[in-house]
Amino acid sequence: MSGVLARRDRALTPEETEELLRDRLGDGVRNSLQEFGIFTVWIAQDSWSEAARRCRDEPLLAYDMFDHLTAVDAREHGFDVLVVLYSTSTGNRIVLRTRCEGGREAPTCPSITETYRGANWMEREAYDMFGIDFPGHPSLEPRLLTVENFEGYPLRKDFHLTSRAAKPWPGVAEPKELDEEGNVIEKEARIGDAPGPYELDKAMAEQAKLANPLPEPETVEGEIAEELAEDAQVAPDSGEVLAGTGEQAAETLEKQATEQAAADADAETQGSAQAARAKAEQRRQEQVAARARKAAERADPGSGGAAADGIDQETFDRLIAEGKSERIARSKAKAAYIKRQRAEQRAAEGEDDGGEQDA
Amino acid sequence: MGLMDQVELPQPVKYVFNWGRKYSLWCFNFGLACCAIEFIAASTSRHDFIRHGVIPFAHGPRQADLLVVSGTLTDKMAPAVKRLYEEMPEPKYVISFGSCANCGGPYWDSYSVTKGVDQIIPVDVYVPGCPPRPEALLDGIIALQDRIQHESLKDRIAGRRLDPVTLGADAPLALEGR
Ligand code: SF4
Repeated sequence: MSGVLARRDRALTPEETEELLRDRLGDGVRNSLQEFGIFTVWIAQDSWSEAARRCRDEPLLAYDMFDHLTAVDAREHGFDVLVVLYSTSTGNRIVLRTRCEGGREAPTCPSITETYRGANWMEREAYDMFGIDFPGHPSLEPRLLTVENFEGYPLRKDFHLTSRAAKPWPGVAEPKELDEEGNVIEKEARIGDAPGPYELDKAMAEQAKLANPLPEPETVEGEIAEELAEDAQVAPDSGEVLAGTGEQAAETLEKQATEQAAADADAETQGSAQAARAKAEQRRQEQVAARARKAAERADPGSGGAAADGIDQETFDRLIAEGKSERIARSKAKAAYIKRQRAEQRAAEGEDDGGEQDA
Repeated sequence: MGLMDQVELPQPVKYVFNWGRKYSLWCFNFGLACCAIEFIAASTSRHDFIRHGVIPFAHGPRQADLLVVSGTLTDKMAPAVKRLYEEMPEPKYVISFGSCANCGGPYWDSYSVTKGVDQIIPVDVYVPGCPPRPEALLDGIIALQDRIQHESLKDRIAGRRLDPVTLGADAPLALEGR
């Protein structure tokens, strides 16, 4: 062997490699694919050890460095084992991949520790994480990465995380959801938004959603408060009046939120989620009632039918016609309605002021 | 120790004794993950917890008074921590440094991570954060020293411990009226 490390000029192309392997292993080579610059050869289970040996010993291939061995959960097809080999003389890298026999119940794959001794602990890891048996391996037990009496195989897709049975995963789905125009839908992360692929996960997520309700009207109110605050900023001349009311609204909202949070915390420390839920429900109802009352007070009997439920019917209809969701349309319409009311109020006060000044 | 576990020391003696103890904490760092780096930062010249009388790098658990568990404790590692703790001589103290050591942290749902070091050994001070800043460790050390100063050694030897302190969650030291 020459002193040059990676002689790429001597390296076989993937096609040649496959041809050579086919020549040596016959039907042992199932097919091959090349993606992301990685050359993968699917090997039949029977030829697995033979393929590894050929890869190392064929002078043209000379994959003398064992890089990695791992497994993949192939769902209903069972498990795949794949091994990454590198040739220090040609600089080639190859992935050999095989499907385990025995399906999901008792997957087995011949060991390649005879050929590559470095595969020893990697196969133990695959055994720990996927429960794949490697006949010919010196000793898969004791378990390498998990505690000795560990039940199950944690990297299998159907492995259940016990912690999540008690408390669901609070994350959200990635990548972000897009609306029809391709804008990212800004959603507040909500517990139970991203269930796992299995039925139990979904059921747990549903339960979690029920246990952590997100009171919808509150966000609407929040939006209105925000818009009011914005309004207060863009209209500096009438700023005082408006900022006053806007701040007040924001303050009451904030107070409500903190009170609720405090009450929630109390309830939680008492350790009864049930009671907390009931309380939250009750509080929400109270809030809804209070809001309805307020809306009724605000509603000017002279300003038309839309005032009854406190939304600007025109805006609402327009937004619905534009294809917005009802929730968004309602919130926007409500904001528009309140804005209009404020404007009317302002106008009225302006008149009063003018009158006083004249007098 | 023959006498100390029998009788309560008189107040002045106790004061001096505890004062001596709290400023010579030999500390054993059980660094398990990223938080260990913050511990190391706390021990170096900028934050320098030696000026608080914490002496890092005890030669072994048998020479240590304080165990700082910093990092992600796995079920596989748990027996080692337990054994180490048991090798330490009484009176011994434990600071749980970082969310992982407190409760499992970001790995709360992992199949392999212990949900907090307090599942296997008693903890005196919890320092929250992922990772906590070195200042937080200094805070934790001061909280611990405060507790050593006011502690009855007799009770400690008899295994009666005060409730653990959680930095940030419990009242600041200044408000406890000491
Ligand atoms: S708490 Fe955060 S920083 Fe500390 S060990 Fe855990 S993951 Fe790392």
